[in-house]
Amino acid sequence: MSRTPGRTRAVAVVAAGVATPLGLDLDTFWSALCTGVDGISAIERFRVDDLRVGRGGEIKKLRTLRHGHLPRCRASALLLLAADDLLARAALTADPARVAVVVGTALGGVEEGERALGEGGVRAAAGGLYDSPAHALAERLAARGPVLTVSTACASGATALGVGADLLAANAADLVVAGGYDVLCRFVMRGFDALRSLTRERVRPFDRRRSGLLLGEGAALVLLARDADAPRVRLGRLLGHASSSDGSHVAAPDPEGRGLEHAVRGALAAAGVGGEAVDFVSAHGTGTPLNDKIETAVLRRVLGARAGAVPVNSIKGALGHTMGAAATLEAIMCLLAARERVIPPTAGFEEPDPACDLDYVPGAPRPARPRLMLSTSLGFGGCNAALVLEGV
Amino acid sequence: MGAQVAGVGLLTGWGEGPGALPVDAVAAAAGRAVLPLARPALDSERFRRATRECLLGVAAVNAMLAEAGLERAAIRGEGTALLFVTAAAYGASNVEFLGARSGTLHFPYTAPSTLAGEVAIEFGLTGAYVILVGGAPATIDALWQASLLLAQGRCRRAVVLVVETFVECEALWRRARWTLPPPLVETAACALLEAGDTAAVYRAVAAPTRPAAAERRAGRTLAAEPLVTLALARAAGEPAARLTGSWRGRRASIELAVAGAPARV
Repeated sequence: MSRTPGRTRAVAVVAAGVATPLGLDLDTFWSALCTGVDGISAIERFRVDDLRVGRGGEIKKLRTLRHGHLPRCRASALLLLAADDLLARAALTADPARVAVVVGTALGGVEEGERALGEGGVRAAAGGLYDSPAHALAERLAARGPVLTVSTACASGATALGVGADLLAANAADLVVAGGYDVLCRFVMRGFDALRSLTRERVRPFDRRRSGLLLGEGAALVLLARDADAPRVRLGRLLGHASSSDGSHVAAPDPEGRGLEHAVRGALAAAGVGGEAVDFVSAHGTGTPLNDKIETAVLRRVLGARAGAVPVNSIKGALGHTMGAAATLEAIMCLLAARERVIPPTAGFEEPDPACDLDYVPGAPRPARPRLMLSTSLGFGGCNAALVLEGV
Repeated sequence: MGAQVAGVGLLTGWGEGPGALPVDAVAAAAGRAVLPLARPALDSERFRRATRECLLGVAAVNAMLAEAGLERAAIRGEGTALLFVTAAAYGASNVEFLGARSGTLHFPYTAPSTLAGEVAIEFGLTGAYVILVGGAPATIDALWQASLLLAQGRCRRAVVLVVETFVECEALWRRARWTLPPPLVETAACALLEAGDTAAVYRAVAAPTRPAAAERRAGRTLAAEPLVTLALARAAGEPAARLTGSWRGRRASIELAVAGAPARV
């Protein structure tokens, strides 16, 4: 069957599972987003007294798994917690050899790598490789299909969903567990602290007073299946996805947002829809002066005349920037917004900025019935990714 | 619509191109655990602070363009996808960052995407962008992604780049010598794919195979192994190549058409 060039095949998002500073299951996460729970706190798990900023979205206590034990590697532990939540909602009803795992991360098991430098043994050294947590997840799921680790920095969680959808379309798997994760550790806090990207104030996406981001940790997974094979009860569909490179700077977005615009237009084309069809946007919205301004300008160009009427939110004010997990969490939030008919507010957004002039869902959750949703992501290395999702 | 390989650049610890590879890597290594690649001499203010791995990525793309007889302009723009793969190249920056007093310089390079970002900036690659972490199967996955992007009209050409470095983390790699016997051979390799008539045949989970000729000739090159095989096939004038790879218990394979002969071997 011939298909429109650039068009990708829609896949079903059957179910989701999460581990976040707002809660270690999907229901608690969603409830916290809508009721204004603040997931940001003083970091307690490692030393921060020598850093400019010592706050973030830290998960204070990990729960136990329904089956098995949590591994020592925190990145793997977060992934297994998200998988535990996912499997409570959906079963992996396929030949294990046809179940794929695709997870995204910015820094993998880097904390294990730091530990490995001081410890002997091949296990410690192997744990420091960025693809180790994905293999730990596949082993726990007994998935014997392809295991992929995507690392497009903070866009990883979106790229992973796109690659997972492609595996299904290519008939390389029948089910894909896809998502992202990253851990809040001294390594990453020290790095962002040195770059002066972290704010000493509240994270305020799109607000006039925004002064930077705070990091968070978490894991988020979805179960993807071919549309025709998926159960009728599902979270929604991934209609299109696309990625792009800025090719302009390794640690800052292109000031014109050309790469992001290319990714967004590509995802819309892959979904076979135009910007006028978008009902809701989950923005990357880090709360840095540059990102939010660029993203606003891109959305204005892509959404056209309707841009001011389309609700746009960012959930990073509530739980911090969870890096590799962020885009998957935001995609899940979109699908829950459609199912629950309410859009969570942008926590921290209070005072409008003339350079950010869209509808950012201030203050309180908004009753709405979004059907078609756009999620945008950016990352180090000039990575951009966009997803077009359809709710139920 | 399918995909075909239009160029391959190969830099290894043995030298440039497949012609530099010994017949037997283990014998030629003569007990050396790591065969290093020197920092490429790229004179540019922009590269003053770039890491060795980034420069190797740039050098590999330059080698691919020379092998294919192409100018830089041929790959510039939104029509070119960039797919970068590594199992290990972020390790050097991790070690540097951990030992440094300030993280401003080193921290961004601990993300694998930064190496790809430097390459994208240098060559003006602004199309689809995928970065995979893992061994040889991840490169098979990247070649499949590239062929898929071409087949779906989501790009007009695709650059698949692999960089593997070991020197800075040699002590860690020594611990794995039972599962990864030496020599570890630093490699930067790049393949250019373009639209063709033959569809790629991708097996995300493939049957076990004997070690590839690439391993016998080049040594352990991790994610670069499929591109070593591809360089050997192209240099031999073969019309197609079957690439396999194995890593952490997973095996994958892909069959790709190979177009024409190299402009320079």
